[in-house]
Amino acid sequence: MNLLLNLFMKHFVTSADAASTVGFWESMKPPIDISTNGHLIDSLFMLTTWLILFFFFFVCLGIFGFSYLYSKKKHPKPLYTHGTSRKHISIVAGIGALVFIMVDMQITTISNRDFINVFLNYPKESEDIVRVQVLGQQWAWNFRYAGKDGIFNTEDDVVTLNDLRLPINKKVIFQITSKDVIHSLYFPNARLKVDAMPGRISRMWYELTKTGLYDIACAEMCGTYHYRMQAKLTVYDQTEYDAWLNEMQERAEFTTEKDKADLYWGWKWLADAETK
Amino acid sequence: MAFFEQDIHDAPTTFLSKYVFSFDHKVIAKQFLWYGIAFLGIGGMMAILIRWTLAFPGEAFPILGPLLFPGNNGVVPPDTYAMLFTLHGTIMIFYAITPILIGAFGNYCIPLMIGARDMVFPTLNMLSFWLAVLSAILLLASLFTPLGGAAGGWTSYPTLSTLIGSAGVGQTLWCLALFVLGVSSTMGAVNYIATIITLRAPGMGYFDMPLTIWGLWLTAILNAIFLPVLGAGLLLLTFDRVFGTTFFLAGAAATSGSGDPVLFQHVFWIFGHPEVYILILPAWGIVSDLLSFFARKPAFGAKGTALAMTSITILSTLVYGHHMYSTQMSPLLTQSFMMLTMTISIPSAVFFANWLGTIWKGSIRFDTPMLFSLGVVFVFGLGGLTGLYLATVTTDLYLHDTYFVVGHFHYTMAASVLLGGFAGTYFWFPKMYGRMMNERLGKIHFWISMVGLNGIFMGMMVIGHAGMHRRIYNPFVYEFLKDLVPLNMFITISALTMGVGQLFFVYNFIHSMYKGPIATQNPWEVGTLEWTIPSPAPHYNFKDIPVVRCGPHEFGNPNLVGKDFQYQTEELVKA
Repeated sequence: MNLLLNLFMKHFVTSADAASTVGFWESMKPPIDISTNGHLIDSLFMLTTWLILFFFFFVCLGIFGFSYLYSKKKHPKPLYTHGTSRKHISIVAGIGALVFIMVDMQITTISNRDFINVFLNYPKESEDIVRVQVLGQQWAWNFRYAGKDGIFNTEDDVVTLNDLRLPINKKVIFQITSKDVIHSLYFPNARLKVDAMPGRISRMWYELTKTGLYDIACAEMCGTYHYRMQAKLTVYDQTEYDAWLNEMQERAEFTTEKDKADLYWGWKWLADAETK
Repeated sequence: MAFFEQDIHDAPTTFLSKYVFSFDHKVIAKQFLWYGIAFLGIGGMMAILIRWTLAFPGEAFPILGPLLFPGNNGVVPPDTYAMLFTLHGTIMIFYAITPILIGAFGNYCIPLMIGARDMVFPTLNMLSFWLAVLSAILLLASLFTPLGGAAGGWTSYPTLSTLIGSAGVGQTLWCLALFVLGVSSTMGAVNYIATIITLRAPGMGYFDMPLTIWGLWLTAILNAIFLPVLGAGLLLLTFDRVFGTTFFLAGAAATSGSGDPVLFQHVFWIFGHPEVYILILPAWGIVSDLLSFFARKPAFGAKGTALAMTSITILSTLVYGHHMYSTQMSPLLTQSFMMLTMTISIPSAVFFANWLGTIWKGSIRFDTPMLFSLGVVFVFGLGGLTGLYLATVTTDLYLHDTYFVVGHFHYTMAASVLLGGFAGTYFWFPKMYGRMMNERLGKIHFWISMVGLNGIFMGMMVIGHAGMHRRIYNPFVYEFLKDLVPLNMFITISALTMGVGQLFFVYNFIHSMYKGPIATQNPWEVGTLEWTIPSPAPHYNFKDIPVVRCGPHEFGNPNLVGKDFQYQTEELVKA
């Protein structure tokens, strides 16, 4: 017990220094939303929470209220009913219908709308978008940008390890696969994740709104060092991004070891029709 | 209704035939109960190790740590951590909850509550237990192989669970252990279904069965249909591992030919989603009965509850796709699965209404089994409602594979089922062992468990919503999770509290077996058939097969004189 107390104190003292700016309630919040559409997920979460609290309130009212009112001492003579009268059956059926209409239909409708109109509404190839190919492997994320020629899987591609840099206010589309086991590309700050699976190419798109440095994680168990499969997302404004990409593209022309077959893990960018 | 009547056999005389290779469903039930409780202890210990690692990364686990991990200064190493959460899941689901709820209560309650002398296939029943033992040996043996036990998560998705992700015999043994366990459970399931159909006492229609039997029956049906699916998947996985087939290998991972890793996910979740209901249905049944028994009031809309359970059973087979939203199925499938999943809330709402209707205007006795039953209503309310976030595809994009999922399914599968199991144990203990369990210790056990459970799983949902993903050894390498240290410590301390609370149960259980006050034939004053015979039940159960004349929940009938309940063997008293 002493040991526990010591540890507890030690951690609280140290964590109090590190996280002194963050209050208890603050720490429960999801990470800061940096995407244009993350708020759709957050607001649906909040709506569901209120609906759930509404119904759970009545469940609690039932459990605690009836327990209080109808204990053996207070209410020695129980009511003899099997709950099979027409009135009782309609009440129960009504509750079922109420839950379905108030909760299920609401959130299903909203979710369907967002899912089809936003999250699956991939930007057109003709738009001005950033394209990135992602390869998961045990235990790292590889990112590939097309080189100056604009074609993927050529020797002038920009390839980075655990280092994704993207511009602000521009639609980004990812094509994702995995080399070995199933991974899941997880952007906590954009509220999105999608599995990276060997033999398949999955897609994701978002648009970022805040510059800065953020975490990328792997959400699907992928082996011992799953927890270390961490990459960094750097969000630049457009000029910074252009400068960085330009420099990387130029460097790629000189530094790529052109004969190394391992380097060509990319693929020809798949047009919309091919991925469906 | 009965198709036939079993003979009364002589009581077994030798130790071996009485306690070890017994054909008696009551002894097999107790064997399953002990088996389950032992594994509950092992799985619980693993949970404590996992929680310790998450709250105090890099700190040695006190006392046990240096003994288990001497090479690592008593700190749980990352590969062992993966093995721990894999086996925690596997053990709790297949080796603790399944044996206790289905093996023990299924075996114990079915013949006694339907008025039969034994299961319809006693030998199959015995085989079912001993195959479960064989399976446990296989699983535990995997821990002592050179690379340790399985470490790919309890879902064991390929290609992680193929040779690409996990070399070594451990994962193969895991597959075989679960395959054997699947055979064992299927044997049990077939037996339960046949027993309930053919051996109900004369006069007992399906709606005269206690709801416990309804729950166990539906569970058995799901088990018989879906465990073979898991078996097939595991067999294919074993082929991939041992014989070099490529059912679940694809892309760069396959050297020749090409299968699909996602195929395994389909196979796994076709089984895996019904599995959730396989575990919870017996608990629902037990709770539906106990609420009525202790509220001294007929179960409100018992037929409705039974039908709601049946419709959930059917729906449970149609919704598995909500586990796979992040694999980017066709949007049409995604939407269909979302809609189907949502419909489950209708029957759920129906039996919540019926549960609350049962205690409404009752005369509630707050004995330990009743407290646990009310606890189930509370935690299952939370568990069921939080499922909505995960059935909704867009919120699931964020919450999938986070601790929110972990908190949610522990509320439904761990908290509700465990509390239901405890309710059943406290309730049927007098009939099993002929002695009463201690009420005071039982109540202490209940309150500590309730506080602990809610602390753990509510905490998990909070950190999950804050973005913490699952199955990570050290969350604090991530910038966005740095603030979650205090919350993780809170969860771990709740888990330790919960663990300590279970000691009250273990002491109570073992002490009451030998020293508890002698139980009367019917200590809870309940009218179902098992309470018409002495405690503990004699080996032949019923000297004369009873004839059923009324339903299982006849309480508080104003026309009754002298007592407030009726045995099922009595004619319904009318004015």
